[in-house]
Amino acid sequence: MQQAPSLQLHTTRECLGLSHRTRTLMAELHIIGQIIGATGFPQNSLFCKWGVHTGGAWRLLAGLKEGQTQVDMPQTGDMAYWSHPIDLHYTTKGLQGWPKLHLQVWHQDSFGRCQLYGYGYIHVPSSPGQHRLQCATWRPLGSWQDQLAEMFVGGGPQLRSPDLIYSGADRYRLHTVGMGTVELELCVILRHFDRYGVES
Amino acid sequence: MSSPSDVREKMRKKRRELQESLGRVRDDKQALVASDWDLSQDNGHTAVEMLAGGQEDPGETLRRSMMAKRMKKKKKLLKEMPVESPPDEEVTAVPEQDRPHDDDDDDVQPVRDLPPRPAMRPGSSQSETTMRQRMTEKLRAAKSKAASLLEQESIIEPASRLQSLRDRETLTRFDRDTDPDLRADEDSSFTARLKFRDVARRATTDKRTEAGLPTAEEAYNFFTFNFDPEPQQQPRRKKRRPGRREAEEEGEGEAGEGDGEDEEEGEEERECEGEEESEARDEDAPLVRDEDEDLFLIDQSAQDFLEVRRAEYVDYSRRLQRERDTLFVPSMRTVPASSKLAENVRPRYLEEEGLYVGERPHVGLTNQNILENRILKQGEGRKWFGDDGRIMALPDPIKESSSRPPLFHLEDELDPALQTAYRKALKSKHVNLYISGMGDPQSDYQLDVDVSGLIFSHHPLFSREHVLAARLAQLYDQHLTRQHKSLTRLLTDKLNGLRNTIHNMLELHRGEALSQVTQQRMAEYKQEVRHTRQLRDVEQDKDRALLKSIIRVWKELKALRDFQRFTNTPFKLFVRREKVEREQDEQECEDDIMAEVEELQAEMEEDYQKKMSEYRRQHEEWKSWKRKQKVLKKKQKKKRQQEEEEEDEESEEELGEEPEKPDPPEKPDSGSLEEQVREKAARIRRKPGEPVLIPELTVSGPVTPNEQCPRAEFARREDVSKRALFIKVLYNDKEVSRTDSRALNMDFRVHFGQIFNLKIVNWPESIKLQVFEGVGSSSTLLVEVCVPVPESSVLTGSAPSEEMEFSSNQRVTFNHEGVGSGVPFSFEADGTSTQTLLTSGKLSCCVSWAVGEDDVPLAPPSSQPGGGMYSGLGQMDAIACIGASSLNDMKKLGKWAAESRLDPNDPNNTSIMQLLSVVSGGDVAVPEYFRLEQLQEEFNFLTDEELQRSRRFRLLRLRSQEVAEFRHFKCVPSMEREISQKVFQDYEKRLKDGEIIDTKEHIDSHRALVAKYLQKVRESVINRSLIAKHHFMLSDVVSEDEVPSIGVLGWNLFKLAEPKRPLKPHRKERKKVTAQNLSDGDIKLLVNIIRGYDIPVRRLHTSKPPVSAKSGRSFTEPFAAPVLSQINQQGSEWPFGQPLIRPFVEVSFQRSVLQTSAAEGPNPCWNEEIVLPFSAPNGDYSSTSLQSVRDEVFINIFDELLSDVVEDERERENTIHTRIARHWLGSIKIPFSTIYLQSRIDGTFKVSTPPVLLGYSKERSLGSEGGYDTIRSLSEGTFLSLFITIEPQLVPGDTVREKFDSQEVERLLIASEVFEKEASRQFPDRPCLSTVIDINGKTVFVTRFIRPLNPPQELLDAFPNSPQETAELVARYVSLVPSLPDSVSFAGVCDLWSTCDQFLTLLAGDEEEHAVLLCNYFLSMGRRAWLIIGSAIPEGPTAYVLTYEQNRYLIWNPSTGQHYGQYDIFCPLQTIGCLINSDNVWFNIQPYAAPVRMSFDVSKPKLWKPFFSRSFPDPGLSSVQPEALVYRRTDKAAAVELQDRIEKVLREKIMDWRPRHPTRWNRYCISTLRQFLPKLELSGGREVAEEHRLELQSLLGEYTISGFPLHLPFSEIRPIIEAVHSTGVHKAEAPNVEFALAVHVHPYPGNVLSVWVYIASLLTAQ
Repeated sequence: MQQAPSLQLHTTRECLGLSHRTRTLMAELHIIGQIIGATGFPQNSLFCKWGVHTGGAWRLLAGLKEGQTQVDMPQTGDMAYWSHPIDLHYTTKGLQGWPKLHLQVWHQDSFGRCQLYGYGYIHVPSSPGQHRLQCATWRPLGSWQDQLAEMFVGGGPQLRSPDLIYSGADRYRLHTVGMGTVELELCVILRHFDRYGVES
Repeated sequence: MSSPSDVREKMRKKRRELQESLGRVRDDKQALVASDWDLSQDNGHTAVEMLAGGQEDPGETLRRSMMAKRMKKKKKLLKEMPVESPPDEEVTAVPEQDRPHDDDDDDVQPVRDLPPRPAMRPGSSQSETTMRQRMTEKLRAAKSKAASLLEQESIIEPASRLQSLRDRETLTRFDRDTDPDLRADEDSSFTARLKFRDVARRATTDKRTEAGLPTAEEAYNFFTFNFDPEPQQQPRRKKRRPGRREAEEEGEGEAGEGDGEDEEEGEEERECEGEEESEARDEDAPLVRDEDEDLFLIDQSAQDFLEVRRAEYVDYSRRLQRERDTLFVPSMRTVPASSKLAENVRPRYLEEEGLYVGERPHVGLTNQNILENRILKQGEGRKWFGDDGRIMALPDPIKESSSRPPLFHLEDELDPALQTAYRKALKSKHVNLYISGMGDPQSDYQLDVDVSGLIFSHHPLFSREHVLAARLAQLYDQHLTRQHKSLTRLLTDKLNGLRNTIHNMLELHRGEALSQVTQQRMAEYKQEVRHTRQLRDVEQDKDRALLKSIIRVWKELKALRDFQRFTNTPFKLFVRREKVEREQDEQECEDDIMAEVEELQAEMEEDYQKKMSEYRRQHEEWKSWKRKQKVLKKKQKKKRQQEEEEEDEESEEELGEEPEKPDPPEKPDSGSLEEQVREKAARIRRKPGEPVLIPELTVSGPVTPNEQCPRAEFARREDVSKRALFIKVLYNDKEVSRTDSRALNMDFRVHFGQIFNLKIVNWPESIKLQVFEGVGSSSTLLVEVCVPVPESSVLTGSAPSEEMEFSSNQRVTFNHEGVGSGVPFSFEADGTSTQTLLTSGKLSCCVSWAVGEDDVPLAPPSSQPGGGMYSGLGQMDAIACIGASSLNDMKKLGKWAAESRLDPNDPNNTSIMQLLSVVSGGDVAVPEYFRLEQLQEEFNFLTDEELQRSRRFRLLRLRSQEVAEFRHFKCVPSMEREISQKVFQDYEKRLKDGEIIDTKEHIDSHRALVAKYLQKVRESVINRSLIAKHHFMLSDVVSEDEVPSIGVLGWNLFKLAEPKRPLKPHRKERKKVTAQNLSDGDIKLLVNIIRGYDIPVRRLHTSKPPVSAKSGRSFTEPFAAPVLSQINQQGSEWPFGQPLIRPFVEVSFQRSVLQTSAAEGPNPCWNEEIVLPFSAPNGDYSSTSLQSVRDEVFINIFDELLSDVVEDERERENTIHTRIARHWLGSIKIPFSTIYLQSRIDGTFKVSTPPVLLGYSKERSLGSEGGYDTIRSLSEGTFLSLFITIEPQLVPGDTVREKFDSQEVERLLIASEVFEKEASRQFPDRPCLSTVIDINGKTVFVTRFIRPLNPPQELLDAFPNSPQETAELVARYVSLVPSLPDSVSFAGVCDLWSTCDQFLTLLAGDEEEHAVLLCNYFLSMGRRAWLIIGSAIPEGPTAYVLTYEQNRYLIWNPSTGQHYGQYDIFCPLQTIGCLINSDNVWFNIQPYAAPVRMSFDVSKPKLWKPFFSRSFPDPGLSSVQPEALVYRRTDKAAAVELQDRIEKVLREKIMDWRPRHPTRWNRYCISTLRQFLPKLELSGGREVAEEHRLELQSLLGEYTISGFPLHLPFSEIRPIIEAVHSTGVHKAEAPNVEFALAVHVHPYPGNVLSVWVYIASLLTAQ
């Protein structure tokens, strides 16, 4: 009878100690980088809308998780440069829903009208360090009427629900065309992930 | 052919000869051949050196001679015949070998130089010794010949060189090609060669001074050293060449060889090699043979080396033959099965054995045969065949049809998430708009507003008859709807149903005991029955009442028609009777009544039973208590006899309270019950057997034509026909459309039937319909109807038209038959029983979301607005499909339906019941919960709470949310433990304070409340502006230099030609510094104090109290200056015997205090610059933070008082011991924000001096400055010239140019924008204002703020006779409201204007609020007043008030209460931008903006540009101000309490400030001062009663008093402390100093408090 309480005390202290340890060391993820630009699109004068999608366990501490770049009209060469900064600081309580970046490349034509040129998404790399990424983009093709209309008056089919970019519904039914690639440079900094058994 | 063949023969001979003799001292080409030969033969021979060494001389000579001959021959040859290109061999080597020769023409050495060449092929000298010997012999012979020849032909050499050069040019390519090849071939012998070359090189270097050649060679070797061999290519070329020469021979040879090879099948490579080998041998043989013959034929010409040959041709048959030998052609015939299988194996067919064998891919039979044949030829060919003797093959993998289904017909079934929509390319303008915080920016939304019509239920033009008719129609409508619903019937049915059920149940269980469940159900049913019965009774009652009133109104209408003898309305009422069968009806009725009676009885019985049982229980209790009582009493009696002590206690304990004796409940009276029921039935139901009455309203009645009507009625009808109505559609308070104007009909119905399609980009907030009624062209707003924004499921086509009821409280009267509205009228002739009707009616309209072409609703998604990207899957809402929108919680709905006992039969509930049935039917099962991310919990690192608890994350999050406390955090520590919990303390406290009001800080609870409120407003505004700050315009991001226009350029050019004027210096613009790169200590505040005017001078004290001294303010009185001993001592410094003063200026800012030196006299000149450091709060130098700096610069004028403290007269000669005391004379305070926003402040400022300055008086300047005096006499007070600036110059933050939403008409907003733009273009330095932002953040036109408002009556009553004094008092009152600059409270945001009532509630405001309030007061006092928008010093852009009275314009400073004449030179107002009153805004377009130099006559359009002019008339803007202000009388007691508290605080503070000295308080003086203060207040702080002063003097005669009263508006205690501190009274350090402090708080209405602080220091006079 004498032994039980002390044991209990011991375990609770252990628990407290543990909780103290984990509390001070929570997993953090910094994503710093830029959307450099895009190549391989049929037209220049592009801009890009981007957003970061995470699972429910993730919490944004600082930074903007979506945005839009300027319109770049390259004078020379094919590549449109945006050099749009991305700076995010996340904390997480679980690995699920690792951040992914989804992009929409838009084209602004000479009349100032904007039309969609491509959807793309890419996982934020999970290994720390600098990463040069290339995100291939695609665009729904639409019916031949759409294509005809697009040829003459611009515009084009768009997804009704843009979450399809990163959610995996039955995409195989979608007819798409590959568009250019978007180049990104992301530096990933992990902190305290090793405390939770995630080796980096 | 003969001659060439001869030549060839010769040539060949000669060449062979040469080859032999030279031992391959030959050109490269030759070497090539030789080397190949070498290669094919043995590589082992190395007898080169010997040979080379021996051959040197002869070889050289021979070569020469040969070359010479060659030259000759070539010439000849060229002449003679068109030869096929000379074989390369002959010439190529020449250039290389020629070079040394050229250099040393006559030298013998060249001969020795050459050997390296021959040495190149050491390996080639494999020849047998016999051959060598022969060769040497021959060489020798040739050498002798050549020597002689050389001598002969040395003359030709130059030519030959030329030739050689030419040749070289043509042939270098080949040269280059072959050389490396050669060398590579000889790799094996390379070392030997190298050795040799070394020797040779040594030789050359020895003998030749020039080192150029060998090194070049070396380099050459070096570079070509690693060249890869091309063994394959080499032999082939070789092959070709001999082939060319001896085609036929070789052909045969090959063929022969080929035959041999044929036998070795399948080993083609080896074949090839073998062939080559043999070929090489072949080639070799004839070469040697030829050489043998021609070797010594030196007299060769070019022809000798050339040959002309036929085109090569192998005839067909031979080629076929050869091909047959080399190639294998598999036959096309079927291979017999036996050869495909192993011996003695029968083919086995898997299909026949019943196994499934897939279909093989189709291969043509021929192809298959060929393949099989070919495979069989190969080694292990059989392994390719399966058991069935066929080539093994997998089944055909290609499906017959494509597995990807075509898309075209799948479009409809596509998952909605996958659907694509064709979107037009859109202008980016639309892309940016905000309806879609939700992912889908491009979709366009459309609202359809269908305005179908309008029915007036009352209209001012109604005649009496119309009123009745309308009422009738309304009642009838009610009747119809009721009938349609037929609630009574429903309820009756339900009741019957319930009764039947109960009956059935009872019958079922007849005689048996009812089970528990059944009993409960019975009870429930009974309950239900009772409820339903009550409902039915009510409904029946209503039905009957309605019917009655319909008939009554109809009767009234008929009476009226009769009375007025005309008919206005076509209404007619028929009452139809429906016969009923009397018997049955009576029976039913009776049944019903009986049933009811029965039920009631049962209920009553039940009730009675319940009560009875209750009664019994109580009775039992009572009885038991009684019994106890008795027992107890008995006991007591016994006990009393035995123990008398305990008696009392016990009896009290046991008795307890006596329960009341319950009364038995009354037996219900069933007899009267029936009576009651019958009576009720008679009241609310039709009598049994009576016919059913059904009213029917028709509009078929005739209306009396106009001609037959009396005049009044005729006028009314005329009026009606003139009226027209139209409806404006306002979307988000903006007019978007309006209907056509429709005439008002006689029946007061207007039909519009117009549909407006609104394509919207903004989120719909409100949709309004404004009904306008017009006569002729003018129209008035009748009423405004707000239409709710439809749910996104409400779509055009399916949405029903709604009737919106409206009414308006307009008062309209007519002098004709129209009854008007809002006015009482009566139907009776005698005017009794009047009634008042308001214009009202029903507007039938329908607002719904449009449906696009492809049936896509053009509605925004209904999910929460601004919720980010919406999920496409979320749209598949089962409930939304049914039609009930925003009913998401099915569980709750179901529960509610169960609880409320929805009647399934009620038609109103059909949709809900249907929905519920669908849900409960299991089709759409709603699970208990749903999990978004499975297994999330299991894999979590830690819990939410832990995450929440992290201080670091919290800090980071708060910083990124830009919460004020954390916004400027630059670095957040990386470790959790480095963040202390204290960081959040302030923040948490603030959050907590949101609810709790801290009265301690603010003293006054009201003010605390206000401060809280202000804080809230501020927060919301700041949040808005933070959002707005993130909206960038192009100009924010891109800084673009404006392209100079031609005009500017021209002007600048013109400037160049300007004469230089060195004496007219230009001010250079200082560099502006942006706030980011600043840190503490970088910013300095420069205060330049130039001079002072009219500083009060010391008034001389008398040692005797009664000697009169004059008031400091009494300028008019001559000043008597009795000279005193004390003054005398100092006075010696003053030659003029004037009362002296040594003023100096002290500037204090942020607790750093600096002062000038003391100057002398009342008009001193300091001209000193004071530099004060500035540090921003939290070290944050962003412009918003700088703008919110609340610190003020205090500029105080002191008098330096030197008093001699040397006690001993004898010491006076050699000791100076003076005490410096200083007396405060006045101060100026300038908020830092003003300096920051204006960047510099320059001018002469009025010093605020206390009304009374003990010991000082205002000296009237004497005659010397007479001219100036006249002007100055107008002003009263002390002035100081200052120049203040910040170094370096800071860029003030931009105000937000967010477009605030507005309720103004669009046209007005545009006009105001244009007006302001034009004004700023013409006069950029004159402030112009036409729209301002009110406290709600809406743009409001400025004239709306001006409206006459009553000042507190108290103030008006104070001086009933003197309007001027009243005005001053009012101004004083206004100035007593504390002022709080907006730039401080709304840092970096904008100027917000609050209305006067808000201002008085908040008791804080800017200059504008003060000015508006003062202006409104003046207007209500019947003065002509304007608001001046201008700029003044030191405030900068500000608002003043202008009044006009007695032909004189007065300018009032609202925040001080001062007023100035138009020509007052010291008026702080410097620039006048515009004048505003309630009607108009005038902009100053005069050449001058200073009030002194301008005219205030606003009627002159040349001087003042009005906003509303003829072209743009005033639309009649209503005021935003309240109609009247209500003032709360301030609690006097509270003021007294406040007074005590302030005094206490100040006293403590003064003692705190004097830590090293005791602070003595002179109570006597304090009490005197206390009496004195209220009088000061009454006099408005100006005319101080002389007597009191004298009194003070007399009372405190023995003291030297210096002190003054301070006057402040009360906001909080801090500024008061600040002000007292800045006077520096506490600094008096004389040992015997005493202090006096008195505080007086005078309450004004509306909680405006005026605070007086009298502070004085007393020194005992010696």
